Amino acid sequence: MLVLTRKAGEGLIIGDDITIKIVEIKGGGVRIGIDAPRDSKIYRQEVYDRIIEENKTAMQWDMDALNSLSTNLSKEKKDK
Amino acid sequence: MRTINTRFGEVEYDPDNLLHFPAGMIGFPTLHDFIVMPNKKEGPLFWIQSVDDEAIAFVLTDPSNFFLDYQVTPDESVKNSLKISDTDDCYVLSVVTVPKDQKITLNLAAPIFFSPKTNRAIQVILENTDYKPKTPLPA
Repeated sequence: MLVLTRKAGEGLIIGDDITIKIVEIKGGGVRIGIDAPRDSKIYRQEVYDRIIEENKTAMQWDMDALNSLSTNLSKEKKDK
Repeated sequence: MRTINTRFGEVEYDPDNLLHFPAGMIGFPTLHDFIVMPNKKEGPLFWIQSVDDEAIAFVLTDPSNFFLDYQVTPDESVKNSLKISDTDDCYVLSVVTVPKDQKITLNLAAPIFFSPKTNRAIQVILENTDYKPKTPLPA
């Protein structure tokens, strides 16, 4: 990983179309401004990692569980 | 027709009739094509089988089956990815997690948008949302 030091007000350019600016450094946090094409996805890492984790968990299922669930769910619907 | 060997047995499918995720699922950018599996059992749940990785399948549902007030709308980049215009239908699906105890949860924080017209789909992460990746069914 490339590690470099920037001060508030300074920036970085990534490729041809992404600009990152250090807006403010205050109280243990860093405010970052990002200019990127609209179709580039930008996520907070922990949010992104959480979704990957849930997708991985969602792959772990078996057909018996799905079948009995489906039976229960459609029964519940009829009972309502 | 082609066949693949999934962990649920052999599945025959039409390569021209797949659900296509141009960007893959989040965290799994190489999973582009899925077979939508017909539901043997009655009920709101169905599943999709990856063609790219035979070991991978997801259970999905229309979240409005459970959460009447869940409303998310596709933004421009979603519409571009699905190759649809403002007048085309766009449906929302949720990934379902089915744990051993069968207390299922829906991932309302990362819905899948799906176009029946282009058979394209995309999973997106909602921003600034209170919806959780592990939302239990309403009691």
